[in-house]
Amino acid sequence: MTLTCRDVIGILDDYVDGGLAGEELAALERHLDGCEPCRAYLATYRRTRVLGARAGRVEMPEEMRARLRAFLRERLG
Amino acid sequence: MTSDDHLLLARAAAGDAAALEALMTRYSGRVFRLAYGITRNQADAEEIVQDVFLQLTLKGGGFEGRAAVGSWIYRVTANAALNKRRGKWRELETSLDDVLPTFKADGHRDGARAFLVADWSRRPDEELLSGEARRTLDAALERLPEHYRAVLVLRDVEELSNEEVAEIVGDTVPAVKTRLHRARMALREILTRRLGPGA
Repeated sequence: MTLTCRDVIGILDDYVDGGLAGEELAALERHLDGCEPCRAYLATYRRTRVLGARAGRVEMPEEMRARLRAFLRERLG
Repeated sequence: MTSDDHLLLARAAAGDAAALEALMTRYSGRVFRLAYGITRNQADAEEIVQDVFLQLTLKGGGFEGRAAVGSWIYRVTANAALNKRRGKWRELETSLDDVLPTFKADGHRDGARAFLVADWSRRPDEELLSGEARRTLDAALERLPEHYRAVLVLRDVEELSNEEVAEIVGDTVPAVKTRLHRARMALREILTRRLGPGA
């Protein structure tokens, strides 16, 4: 099995999430060995996933928590 | 749903402040993260958090046998956030086609080689999560359609499985996977244009 860059990028999510196996995994890794653009794509794709996750870990502001507490106490009597 | 949750809900519905506090400690962070992650607006997220908690406490012990509070909360929050976003700021959510990779007829990537091999992945968090890079990331997140943001938050922030996310957003696993991959690729492309060669 031989994969093109288009094929590799199409299954990169499965690769990064550990969902590839067997010949498909071997073919992807063979392609990566010989393709600098796809290696750069993979490295930046992985980093993007981590950055997106870190950026999304927002804390609820304390004053919002206080307003939620007051709102629920009022509504629940 | 654990029996502990059942007990807390019943007590909170009866006006027990300590039980309400325990429920808030357990669940308010994730409700806010998802609501804000989808709406990208603090005021909208706050309204959703209040509404979800009101529904939760009024529901009290009325959860059916095996229903889990955690997944119920995600589902109600995602629905509320997606409904709130409907019709808002649509003009900012243009098609992602121009931020997805393009290919030549032979399957190779299209574009200048310096851009294709640009690898900014080893730059430190402090650089990538602050200043101009952070503003680029936030703008890129805001550009994603809300259904994409919902999947991105549930998978990459909350670390749920594709199957769990599909159940929460009421879609198929392949649709969830496609949206997640497109969302990550769009963010990657926008970041690379900002951080790559010539930036």
